[in-house]
Amino acid sequence: MSCEHVERDLHAYIDRELGAAEASAVRQHIIDCLECRRRVTELEGLGRLVRSTPYVVAPARLRARVAAQASGRWSATRLVSLAAVAVVVLAVGGGVTLEWRSTTAIDPLTDGVVDAHVRSLMADHLFDVESTDQHTVKPWFLGRIDFAPPVTDLAPIGFPLLGGRLEYIEGRQIAALVYQRAKHTINVFVLPDAKEPSAEEVRAIRGFHVVHWRGDGMAFYVVSDLNQAELRDFAHALRAP
Amino acid sequence: MATGRFEETVLPHLDAAFNYARWLTRNEAEAEDVVQDACVRALRFLTSLRDDNARPWLLAIVRNTWYSRLSRRSHFTRGIGADDGDLDMPDAALDPEEQMLQQHTVTRVRSALEQLPVDFREVLVLREIEGLSYKEIAAVLNIPIGTVMSRIARGRERLMNILRLATNMEALR
Repeated sequence: MSCEHVERDLHAYIDRELGAAEASAVRQHIIDCLECRRRVTELEGLGRLVRSTPYVVAPARLRARVAAQASGRWSATRLVSLAAVAVVVLAVGGGVTLEWRSTTAIDPLTDGVVDAHVRSLMADHLFDVESTDQHTVKPWFLGRIDFAPPVTDLAPIGFPLLGGRLEYIEGRQIAALVYQRAKHTINVFVLPDAKEPSAEEVRAIRGFHVVHWRGDGMAFYVVSDLNQAELRDFAHALRAP
Repeated sequence: MATGRFEETVLPHLDAAFNYARWLTRNEAEAEDVVQDACVRALRFLTSLRDDNARPWLLAIVRNTWYSRLSRRSHFTRGIGADDGDLDMPDAALDPEEQMLQQHTVTRVRSALEQLPVDFREVLVLREIEGLSYKEIAAVLNIPIGTVMSRIARGRERLMNILRLATNMEALR
C-alpha cells in the first residue's frame, strides 16, 4: 500500500470508520512507514486537543424551560412561525428515519438498561462506590451480590474506570460499572446469565448505543452515547483484557 | 403521552444539543435560544422520530433552527463555504508536531476552532466532541458520507494550520 493511498484513508482510519480489511492494510503500512505513523500521532493529538476544550452542559434554566414547554405551556404565535420550517424539518427527520430504522422489537431488559443509563446521567447518581481503582470497586460488590462482575481499569487504552453501583431492573439485581471516554459516560450493566456465550450485538436505542453479549455465565450490556466503533473497541477490551 | 416520550427520548440529549448550538453560534445566550426553539420544533415533530435515532434527529433540528434564524437576518451573508476551493494557509511548521501540539492551551484550541468556517467547525465538533459516526453526521447535515469524510479531513488540516500559525507567532514574540 502506498503512502498516498494511506493518506486518503488516514482520517477514516483514526475515526474507526474503515472496514476490517482496509483498516488492517493501513495498520500494516503505518508499522513500516515512519512518515505515516507520525501523521497518525499528529491527527490523534489534534483530536485530543479538540476534546480538551471545556464541555458546557445545558444551563438548568434552559432545561426547566424546555421541560415546561413539553408539558403543554407554549404560545400560539410560536406555532405559526413553526409552520414555515415544517417542511425542512420533516424532510430531515425523514432522511434520518431511513438510516436508523430499527428492525427488531426492544426486549424489556434492554429497554430497562437504557432507562437506567439515562437516569444515572440525569439524577446525578452515577456511583455507590466512586473509585478509579479496580481493587476498590471489585470488593465493594462482594457481599452485596452473589456474582462477581469483572472489574478492569481500561485507562491505558483511554477508558478510565470511575466507579460502580447497584441497579434493580426488571426485578433483577444488576451490577453497573461506570467508565468514561472523553466527555462520554459508559455504563456497563452485568447480571448472571447461564445461557450459551454469544457474539457482541450492537443496537441503537433512543439515540444511545447498546452492545450486548453473554460470556462467563454473565450477560453484559454496555450503554453510551459514544459512537458505535469506539464502543465496540471498548467492549472488545472489556471482554478480553 | 407526547410529553412522556419527549422527556424520555429528547431531554437526555439536551446537553449535546446545547454544546452543538454553542459551537454553531459561538454565543451561549444565542445557543440557549436556538435550543429552546429547536425543542419546540422537536416536540411538534415528535411523530417523525423513530425510537433509535433521537440524538442525530435532535441535532439536525438544532442545525435547521439555527440556519432558519440566520436566514431571517438581513445582515447575514454566509461565510466561505467548505467547497469553495482550497484556502488552506501555507504550512509554516518547522518544529516537531508533538511539541507543537503540547504547547497549546485550551483557550487557544477553542479560539482556533471558532476561527474555522462553520462547515468545518461543525463536523469536527460532532465527530471529536460528540463522538458521532460519519453516518450520523451525514444525517444531521443532510449530506453524503463522502462529503462528511472530505470535510473532516480538510477541517483537521485547517485547524492544524491555524494552530501552527499561532505557535509560530508566539515564537516570534
